[in-house]
Amino acid sequence: MAFWQLTRLRVVFPVLLLLLLFVDGDLMSAMGAIFTAFPWHILPTLTLIWLFYAVQFDADSEVPIWLYTALIGVLFDMYYTGIFGTYTVAFLGAVAAMKQMHAYLDERLLSGMTLFLIGLLTYLVITYAAGFIIGIANVGMVSFLLYEVLPTLLLNLVIAALAYYPVWSLFQFLR
Amino acid sequence: MRKLFSSRAVVTMIIAFIVIVGLIAGSNWWAKRTNTPPFIQRFGNDLAGGFSRVIAVPTTAIGRTANSIGNLLNTFEENQALKAKIDEFAQDKVRLQTVEEENKELKKQLKLEATLTDYKTVSAVTISRSPTTWQSQLVINKGSKSGLKKGMPVLAGSGIIGRISEVNTTNAKVALVSDTSEDANRFAITIKGGKGDVNGIVTDFDRESNQLIMGQVTSDNEIKAGDLVETSGLGGVIPSGLYVGKVAKVTKDDYGLSKRIYIEPAADLGNITTVVVAVSEIGAQ
Repeated sequence: MAFWQLTRLRVVFPVLLLLLLFVDGDLMSAMGAIFTAFPWHILPTLTLIWLFYAVQFDADSEVPIWLYTALIGVLFDMYYTGIFGTYTVAFLGAVAAMKQMHAYLDERLLSGMTLFLIGLLTYLVITYAAGFIIGIANVGMVSFLLYEVLPTLLLNLVIAALAYYPVWSLFQFLR
Repeated sequence: MRKLFSSRAVVTMIIAFIVIVGLIAGSNWWAKRTNTPPFIQRFGNDLAGGFSRVIAVPTTAIGRTANSIGNLLNTFEENQALKAKIDEFAQDKVRLQTVEEENKELKKQLKLEATLTDYKTVSAVTISRSPTTWQSQLVINKGSKSGLKKGMPVLAGSGIIGRISEVNTTNAKVALVSDTSEDANRFAITIKGGKGDVNGIVTDFDRESNQLIMGQVTSDNEIKAGDLVETSGLGGVIPSGLYVGKVAKVTKDDYGLSKRIYIEPAADLGNITTVVVAVSEIGAQ
């Protein structure tokens, strides 16, 4: 493989996806004092943001998004929870929701943020529901919405918005 | 009537749902039953752990800086309060050393082997924390190579923060007490009340008040807010005398028959950079 081929989206995309999976955990650990300060529970979801960019900037012509989403979900489950299924479904569900809605929204920043909002909400709701299946849910709906969903949306929407144009030009460059 | 989904889609969705629920419930059951995960999972986790360690260098640096700035703001007041406490500690330490010596001598005279209070410690560094809604788990950089086993208690700062939930070769997962799954926080504790101790187990964690709950307490011994709580060592794996926290409040249960005791955990569950695993000398055998 020649060097210039390494700078193609189909190579860079999965490498960064894998990297962001670990960055999420490291951020949660390093910023734990802020992210999990009682009563807040804020999740960094950079992995999902990266998948959102793939949907929003139509990367699926070059990258097998479904395959990568499933693989990253399995890896997430294996490394972070040890219980298979929850996050695989959450990632697939979020990507499915974003892909469905992508047809109705355009490429402007605000449309993009709406799309990501839908994806992230789907993701969080699936993880919340999964907690009930194995009986480990110990937070009521209102607390979940107030202390987890709201701040998580806020943090990740800001990150996604800040990186929107840089990532857009990166995708252009890599094509 | 117009159908929302085709019947084929409905069947696929139902089957997918059953498979997923089965997968989640099945792997949860399997993880509880086994001490170490299957080879492939262990191998993958070791690999991921190594990778994560490299990435953790810059993120941890950022996190530490943020924490230091936060800490700097209340340093002055904290320093004054701590100065007042430190003399007390010096006295306690000397006393502890004398009592420890005496304890060792007496044990020798009684020909006692290791007891519940004997444990070694293994210190480890947090390399990752699961960014998940439930099941707050830490990944630490010591594994079965350092003698860790599933179920061992983990301490950070001033008290117990959780138990080892999965052991790989070079890293392990710690389920925090704030996680209500059964193996995370059901450990035997004792409350040092004014008139005798009260024994029991932690039955729950109230995430909305950030407190541990010790339910179904029928003892008549008086317990009040501020009483100290430590592990009792009953059950064997967790040594006795590990600090858990302080009693926050005591209430009656729903039927008025027994007490529910709310315990404020001593350790800060948010900011955990280094941990200590307590390896019980009799539990490990």
